Amino acid sequence: MTGLGATMVRAGRRLLSSLPALFGVLVFTFLLMRVLPGDPAVFFASGPNAGKEEIEQIRKQMGLDKSVPEQLVFYLSDIGHGNLGRSMMTGQPVLKDLRERLPASLELTFTALLIALIAAVPLGVVAALRPGSAIDHGVRLFCALGVCVPTFVSGLLLIYVFYYLLGLSPDPTGRIDVFTSLPPQRTGFLSIDFLLAGDIEGWWAACRQLILPAVSMALFVIAPLARITRASMLVSLGSDFVRTARSVGLSWHKVVVTYALRNAILPVITIAGIVFSTMLGANVLVEKVFSWPGVASYALDALLSSDYAPVQGFVLLMASIFVLVNLVVDICYGIADPRVSIG
Amino acid sequence: MRFVSFRPASSVLAITALLLIAAAPSQAQTRAETLRYVTGASVNTLDPNIPGSTRESFALSMSTYDRLVAFGRKQLNGKWVFDLDKITGELAESYDVSPDGLKLTFRLRKDAKFQDGTPVTAEDVKWSLDRCVTAPILGKAQLLTGSLTSADQFKVIDPLTIEVTLPKPDKLALPNLATVYPMIINSKLAKEHATAEDPWATAWLKEHTAGSGAYVIETFKPGEQVIIKRNEDWNRGTPDKPAFFKRVIVQSVPEPATRANLVERGDADIVVDLQASDVQSLEAKGKLKVVSTPQYNSITFVSMNNQIPPFDNVNVRRAIAFALPYDDMFKAALFGRGAPLFGATWPDGKPLNGIYPFQAPVKTDLDKAREYLKAAGLPEGFSTTFSFNVGQASTAEPMAALVKESLAKIGIKVDIQKLPDAQMSTQINEKKLPFFTEGIVAWLPSTDYFYRNFYTGNQRWNYSSISNPELVAIAQEARFEPDKAKYEEDGRKLNAIHFSEMPQIPLWQPNQDAVMASSIEGYTYEFHRQVDYRDVSRK
Repeated sequence: MTGLGATMVRAGRRLLSSLPALFGVLVFTFLLMRVLPGDPAVFFASGPNAGKEEIEQIRKQMGLDKSVPEQLVFYLSDIGHGNLGRSMMTGQPVLKDLRERLPASLELTFTALLIALIAAVPLGVVAALRPGSAIDHGVRLFCALGVCVPTFVSGLLLIYVFYYLLGLSPDPTGRIDVFTSLPPQRTGFLSIDFLLAGDIEGWWAACRQLILPAVSMALFVIAPLARITRASMLVSLGSDFVRTARSVGLSWHKVVVTYALRNAILPVITIAGIVFSTMLGANVLVEKVFSWPGVASYALDALLSSDYAPVQGFVLLMASIFVLVNLVVDICYGIADPRVSIG
Repeated sequence: MRFVSFRPASSVLAITALLLIAAAPSQAQTRAETLRYVTGASVNTLDPNIPGSTRESFALSMSTYDRLVAFGRKQLNGKWVFDLDKITGELAESYDVSPDGLKLTFRLRKDAKFQDGTPVTAEDVKWSLDRCVTAPILGKAQLLTGSLTSADQFKVIDPLTIEVTLPKPDKLALPNLATVYPMIINSKLAKEHATAEDPWATAWLKEHTAGSGAYVIETFKPGEQVIIKRNEDWNRGTPDKPAFFKRVIVQSVPEPATRANLVERGDADIVVDLQASDVQSLEAKGKLKVVSTPQYNSITFVSMNNQIPPFDNVNVRRAIAFALPYDDMFKAALFGRGAPLFGATWPDGKPLNGIYPFQAPVKTDLDKAREYLKAAGLPEGFSTTFSFNVGQASTAEPMAALVKESLAKIGIKVDIQKLPDAQMSTQINEKKLPFFTEGIVAWLPSTDYFYRNFYTGNQRWNYSSISNPELVAIAQEARFEPDKAKYEEDGRKLNAIHFSEMPQIPLWQPNQDAVMASSIEGYTYEFHRQVDYRDVSRK
C-alpha cells in the first residue's frame, strides 16, 4: 500500500502549504471588519440609558480602545492559544458557539448534499443517455425550477404545505422538538447520537426535523450537479473507449456505470466539493427559515451587529473547511481515477 | 505562531462530545402546564445588567429574580398595562416614604427564600443595590435617573429592614427599583464566585442565576432557547401562590412567518413580535386571541438634526412636518396598528395637556409646507438623505418610499439610505445623519423624563440634537416638582416649545400585538415590552 502512504504524505504537504492562505484570510478578515462602518460598542450599548460611559466600557471590553495593529497582535496571539474571542451577541466564547453550531450545519449540509447527489447523478445520467428527448427536457425544466426558486421561498413553501396545510412535518423550529429529550451528546449529529443511544423514536423525530430544510437546500444544488453529470456523461459516452466497450458487447450496466460514469464522475466530485463548501456558509436563509441553530445564521446575526469575534471565527472556520474539502476532493480524484496524483 | 488546528471532522466532533456534558433527560410535563413562547430575538445573558443584553433577557430576569417592589397593573381601553403609579411590594412586604420624600424604608417578607433555600436578608438587598450603582453595569445609568448613585444611600437597619436615602425627593426613585436592573441577588452565593478583578461576580452571573424568582433555569442555550421551571416556593405574585405554568420554553424562531404559523397551529402559545400584516390576517381568522396595546412608553419619530443645515432652520423643520404623508405612512408601515401622534386639533393653539408624548396638530398640507419652505429661503427645495436601519426595514422601508414621494412634491429630493443597525447607531451617536427615522422607549414614561433624556445635551438619545436652554430648565425643574398642578403646567410649556421648535416629528406609538392561544389569560403589557411569564395562565 505504498500508493496510499504516498497520497497521505502528499496530502499532509498540501495541508501545510495552505497555512499561509489561512493566515492571509485571518488578517484580511480582521482588517475588513475594522474597515466596515459601524461601531459595535455603540450598537451593544443600546439599553434605554446607555451613555458615553457604557460605550467606552464595551469598547474596552472588546479591546477596541487600542490601535488596530495592537489589536491585531492581541488577536493573533489569542488565536495561537486557541481562543477565538467572545461573542457580544450570545455572551459566549466564539469557539464554544461554533462547536455547538457546526454539527448542526454539517448535519444539514451533508444530508442535503446526499439528497442532491442521489437525485442529481441519476437524473444527469438519464438525460445524457437520451439527449434531446422528453426526459432530457424534463430534467432541464426541473433543474431550472430548482435554481430559480430561492431557498427561502422553497423553504417557506415546503413549510406551508407540509406543516401548515397537511400537518405532516413537525414544527420548523430547529433540530429537535422542544418536548423531546436529547440523547447523550457523542458526535453532535443528532441523527447519529440517537442511533448510538438506541432511541429509535428520537432518531425518527430528528430525521423528521431534518428532512424539510435538507430538501429545500438540495433543490437548489441539484441543478449544477445534474447539469455537470449530464455534460460530462455526454463526453464520456461519445468517447472511443465507450464505443469500443459497446462494440465488444459488454453489458449495458458495465458500459454505462463502470466505464462511462466512472470517467465522467471527476468533474462531479469537484463541483460537489465546491457546492458543499458553499452550502455550509450560504445556507443562512434555510437556517433562518427553519430556525436551524447553525453557523451561517450565527455569522449573519454577528455581521449585522458588527460583532467582530464571531464573524472572524466563522470566516476562519469556513476557510479551514474549504481547505479540508479541497483536500478530500483531491484524494477522491485519486480513487476515482488512478492517473491523477495530487502534488 | 500556532493555529487552531481543524483536524478531520470526526476528531473535532469526538472532542466536542467529550467536552459537553450530556443533558439529563428532563421530567415530562403536560403540554397544558407548559407555556411555549417564541420570539425573533434571543436571551443572551442571565443577568440583564450585562451591556448588550436583549429585551428577552430582561423578561427572563423578571421571572428568575425578584425586586424590592413591582409595578401594579391597570386597564387602559380595556387592556391590561403596567401601572407606573401603583407600586406594590415584591420582596418588600411593605414600604414607607418619609413625609419629606427623602427616606424610603422597606420591610422584607419573612418567608422569602432564595432558590437555594437560604432566606432573603437586608444584607442581600444592600449588596445587590450596591452592585447596581457601583459595578460597571447597565443598572448604574438607569438608577441615576432616580437619584440613586452611591452605595452610601442604602442602609441595613435590621436583617429584614433596609433604608434608602435620597439627596432630593425624586419621584422616580421608587419606580426605578421596580425596573429590570435592581434585582435582588443571593449575595452569599454570588460572593463565592467573585474574583479580585470581578468583585461583583458579573462573569458568573451572566451564566448562572442566584435569585429568589418565580422560575428556575432548567436549560440555557444562548441564541436558541431557554427552558425554565416553576419555583414552587415562590409566592410574591398578587394572588399569593406560585406562578401558573410549571414550565416555560422561550425559543428563538427568527422567521416571522414561521412564528405566525406556529401560533396559529397551536404549537406556540404566545408571541409578541409578529409582522403587522400577519397579525391582521390572524385577527381576521378569529381563532386566536389578539391583544393590541399601543406601546404607550415608546414613540416612533422622523428626526432631523437641528445642527445641520438646512434643518437648523425651524421653517424647514415645519415644512417637513406639514409635508409628511401621515395617513399613508401609518397604513403602509403599521397597517394602522398603533396610536397616531398626528392630526390633533388644538382649538386655541395650545397643548391640550402636559403629557408627553402628545398628539400634535400636524397633517399633510403641501401648500402650508411650501410656504414654510419659502419663509426658510428655500422655495426651490433641497437634497438630503433619509436613513433607517435594516432591523426596522419592514416598517421603515415603505415609510421611506412614501416620504421620498411626498417631499418630492415640494421640491425636496430625498435619497433613501438603508443602514445596518450597528452603522446606524454609530452615525446617530456621532450626529452625522441629517434626516432619519428612529424609535425610543422609556421604562418610566413621565413627561420630564422624556424631555430630559431625549431633548437635552449633546448625547446619543437627543436624536434631533436640539439645544434649547428654556426647555432644559423647565424639564429639570419639573423633575423635582412635588405639586401636580405645577408639574402639569410645566408639561404644557414643554409641549408648546416642542411644537413651535419642531425638533423632530413624533409619528405614532406602534402597537404591541400579543397573539396568543385563546386559552391564555392575564397577558399584561409590561414596561420592558415583553411577556412577563408570571402574568399569564391557561384556563
